[in-house]
Amino acid sequence: MKIWVCIKQTFDTEEKIVIENGKVDEKDAEFIINPYDEYAIEEALQLRDELGGEVTVITVGPDRAENALRTALAMGADKAALIQDPSLVGDECVLARMLAEAIRREGFDLILGGNFAVDSGSGQVAIRLAEELDIPHIGSVTGLNVNGRQAIAKRDAEGDTEAVESTLPVLITAQQGLNEPRYPSLPGIMRAKRKPLERLSAQDLGLSDSLKTKTLIIEEYLPPEKEAGKILEGDLDQQVQELVEALCGKGLSFN
Amino acid sequence: MALKNKAVGAHFLIEETEKSSLVTPEDFSDEQRMFAETTRSFIEKEVVPKDEAIESLDYGLTVNLIRKAGELGLVAADVPEAYGGLGADKVSSTLITESLAKGSSFSLSVSAHSGIGTLPIVFFGNDAQKKKYLPDLASGTKIAAYCLTEPSSGSDALSAKTTAKRSKDGKYYILNGEKQFITNAGFADIFIVYAKIEGKDFTTFIVERTMEGVSLGPEEKKMGIKGSSTRPVILENVKVPAGNLLGEAGKGHVIAFNILNIGRFKLAAGVLGSAKEAIRLSATFANERTQFKKLISSFPLIRRKLADMNVRTYTLESMVYRTSGLIDGALKDLDYSSSDIGWQSAKGIAEYAIECSINKVFGSETLDFVADEGLQIHGGYGFTKDYKIERIYRDSRINRIFEGTNEINRLVVMSTLQKKAVKGELPLLEKANTLKDEIEDLLENRPTDGFLKQETYLVSAAKKLFLLVLGLAYRKYGLNLQKEQQLLSHLSDLVIQIYAMESVLLRTMKRLEKLGSEKAENGLDMMRLAIFEGFDKTESLVKEALAHLEEGEALIRRLASVQKIAYRLPIDAIRLKGRIGMRVAEASRYIV
Amino acid sequence: MSRTVLVFTEQKDGRLRHVTYESLTAACRVAEGGEVVAVLFGSRQSEQVEEVGKYGASRVYVVSHDDLHQYTPDAYKQAMLQIIGEVDPDAIIMGHTAIGKDVAPRVAARLGLGLITDCTDVCTDSGEVIGVRPIYAGKAFQKKKFIGKKSFVTIRANNIELQENAQTPAVIPFDVTIKDVRSVVRKVIRRSASGVDLSEANVIVSGGRGVKSAEGFRPLQELADVLGGAVGASRGACDAGYCDYALQIGQTGKVVTPELYIACGISGAIQHLAGMSRSKIVVAINKDPEAPIFQVADYGIVGDLFQVVPKLTEAFKRALEEK
Repeated sequence: MKIWVCIKQTFDTEEKIVIENGKVDEKDAEFIINPYDEYAIEEALQLRDELGGEVTVITVGPDRAENALRTALAMGADKAALIQDPSLVGDECVLARMLAEAIRREGFDLILGGNFAVDSGSGQVAIRLAEELDIPHIGSVTGLNVNGRQAIAKRDAEGDTEAVESTLPVLITAQQGLNEPRYPSLPGIMRAKRKPLERLSAQDLGLSDSLKTKTLIIEEYLPPEKEAGKILEGDLDQQVQELVEALCGKGLSFN
Repeated sequence: MALKNKAVGAHFLIEETEKSSLVTPEDFSDEQRMFAETTRSFIEKEVVPKDEAIESLDYGLTVNLIRKAGELGLVAADVPEAYGGLGADKVSSTLITESLAKGSSFSLSVSAHSGIGTLPIVFFGNDAQKKKYLPDLASGTKIAAYCLTEPSSGSDALSAKTTAKRSKDGKYYILNGEKQFITNAGFADIFIVYAKIEGKDFTTFIVERTMEGVSLGPEEKKMGIKGSSTRPVILENVKVPAGNLLGEAGKGHVIAFNILNIGRFKLAAGVLGSAKEAIRLSATFANERTQFKKLISSFPLIRRKLADMNVRTYTLESMVYRTSGLIDGALKDLDYSSSDIGWQSAKGIAEYAIECSINKVFGSETLDFVADEGLQIHGGYGFTKDYKIERIYRDSRINRIFEGTNEINRLVVMSTLQKKAVKGELPLLEKANTLKDEIEDLLENRPTDGFLKQETYLVSAAKKLFLLVLGLAYRKYGLNLQKEQQLLSHLSDLVIQIYAMESVLLRTMKRLEKLGSEKAENGLDMMRLAIFEGFDKTESLVKEALAHLEEGEALIRRLASVQKIAYRLPIDAIRLKGRIGMRVAEASRYIV
Repeated sequence: MSRTVLVFTEQKDGRLRHVTYESLTAACRVAEGGEVVAVLFGSRQSEQVEEVGKYGASRVYVVSHDDLHQYTPDAYKQAMLQIIGEVDPDAIIMGHTAIGKDVAPRVAARLGLGLITDCTDVCTDSGEVIGVRPIYAGKAFQKKKFIGKKSFVTIRANNIELQENAQTPAVIPFDVTIKDVRSVVRKVIRRSASGVDLSEANVIVSGGRGVKSAEGFRPLQELADVLGGAVGASRGACDAGYCDYALQIGQTGKVVTPELYIACGISGAIQHLAGMSRSKIVVAINKDPEAPIFQVADYGIVGDLFQVVPKLTEAFKRALEEK
């Protein structure tokens, strides 16, 4: 089995957001693997251990993204590839095309990615990638079995669970609950140093001319701070009454 | 100079150290950062949520978690690869120890296992013993405990009463005695036990829990670290195979003291992690707690506390990683194929026994300070069990006691220094002879102003002042100086202050060079405070010592000379602490 | 610049979803005087045609096909591509729902279009369509625009204030051809809880560690039932095993923006706040008056949730009966 995992290095979710010149400032941020991508990595490793084959992790990003790949290698992935985005402003359309080209060249049976990235929250790249490669996808997966050339997945559809079947090759996006990602063990970290990590440019992929972004970020900003609320006073019955009256007066729609 | 190429402990007292030779947290490799990250994630996700159960002394849970830690390699750093360990460098193993610290009682159990429990076999075991025990210890499937202390022998460890009697056929030793305050006793499988063969040869044995005659006394009702097991281990006619004698008969003291060196250093790494946790908790609390309609983190007195906590922790961090780098330096050129590599390694580490004791004393006292101020920031809440700072405060207290009390460690610093001088490893007396010239030199070249000049000067000046007091103390007491514990403690404190000031100075200069002045600014502020406060302590220690060593005219002359050497323009500490405190409050955690 | 805007509607249990009305409202804005075209999947229902007309659709394509009863990306993609080919819209809008977020990127990729997902607002400025969307789980926002003439956005439920714009739409039955559906849904297990989706609930009653046990969620469920809402939880409650991780709200769980969020026994760690602080009204019930949740709450009651919540349930019951 040739298993690919598309990952993204994102802000640590604990980080405070600072805006500088209409952009989120990444200067002093700590970076991690997007948590949803960790589920994808874990699932890939489990499937490889069960079915054999190899796991390649791939990302598009700046030099620092190599750390995310090394972490995935330390978790147990076999190989890694880092695509350097020449423009650094490419949108999901551009990213998906680069990934598609890199993956197509090597061949694939199964591709995994996170449901979405916690920074941009767009949730597009993996699914676009499936379309670029003209393979089916199953999104937001919380359970996965692979039997021969068939994948059986549990898909989370806003709380309902759909049992979905598809043939390989297929792309899966991982939702929380799929598994419990392992930590990179210390011996794993030491082994990761010696595993292959390939760097690719858009030129290497023969794509430099056809990569045109379709959307542009105009600006990024912080939400307005909420005004201080009101702690209700009086005895409990009074407080409850006051609250219910206040809420009913707000025109909320209770069904 | 020849000294520079050779690893020599306490070298810093007589020589200037080149900042490039210093290991600092800024030098960590990506791999080392990942070690730390895995350790922190494990503690955060597996240990912290089970905190309450661990604190109620759930052996099964702790054992289970040690196994899980073992699966990740977290207890294997110091075990050679050939025996199932990682064979990692000491900087890595220090970073792992620091990162475990947030698990409080659990991290103590882990450290007791992987440190003083496992290392005697790593360093002093023969191949058969290593093969038999190390793989299980490195994977956490077996847990070790270290049994040195007895009811009547604490600081005076060599007065142990436990006996080992050789069986007639020579196949066994029969051990009898009682060991006390044994960390991990409740669930350990392997005990490293010290006993005297025929009542005189102090010797180390590997004792297994399952051997007949090994039993445990009741759990101690402790003030802190309540989630760790501390019980007496009772040995009644325990038949220990002769093959379980560790090292050589009569060489137990060598093992004990070497293991203590490492234990002391690891303790410092652990308290560093706890101090950072205390800062995080306190800063977070200060950012949540509102009084007088303002977050208390906005009040200058709270910020001052955060600043003081952060500066001391920065100093400790600089010392700990500098020391780990020194130890790595001593170990890197050894012949790892030789059969006595363990003994050689222990010797390499012993070279830095003084630095290990310095770290232990400074570290444990730093954590006590940080925990105390952190609790104060919490106000009344800090006095309740609802807030973790209460526990850090209680847990902290033991650190000044175990691995040799801080008093014993202060004496160790000076006795080791004396031995080095006598053996000619450290030309202390020669230095004392040329001191007069050197002081003149120092004063002549004294900087009047300039960036960082004054701080650099003060560190050099502190060294001269130490040598001055040491010389006078020898002149007055000669070899009887070893009985003058108060004076020795003062001298030792001078050594500690010098190491602290120099470590923080060199690290900060290195950071400045690497990161530029904007990013290094907080470190620079902290370094200036650390050096000025360290020098204040230095000066007062020197004066008190001189007042004891000299009198009359001579004393007045000496004091005038000290005054001249120690002259400095004060810094605006109030402004600096305001700035540092603000940064800590903003970050809600320890920051450099 | 007037535009033809195509809205893919969505139904659940035979009713149009709220986000569909929001999509139509946004479409009217984006159309700038142009035409809003709606697509109804499923059987022809006059009531639904009327509903989409009420919010501005002047043409409605009704698409009925056996392969569209249950969502699959292949079938939906093919149907959408055929309708887009027919209508040739300047802008496409749909909800950022389990379906929308799953199929829109495929359609966009196939057409080589830019796509701005998960928008909390859509507007136009100097002839350009602009999507406003939360990033970093709502800790910041981003304004994005399109390069090229066509725009495609998905919008997050419960963010756009509905605006009626009554039309009498022309109904156009439209046949689609669907083949090679490569993924098949074998079974759908409906969520057992009272059926209101966390991500679309108007009201969420959420419990934290203060709920103390799985059993402790019962009064919260009762309050949620009275309000037609859903029950959520903080990470603390999930970690403690009081409830399923599916209910987790926060940075790593679901991000919700209900009209009313009632936090019970939740201290308000920054992780949790990231998932709910954009709720329109936040009510906090907590024993600890210092709990940070009160700093984001519009109304706070300091007290034991096991006393407060049942009283609240009773008071709401009375108030709603009077209505």
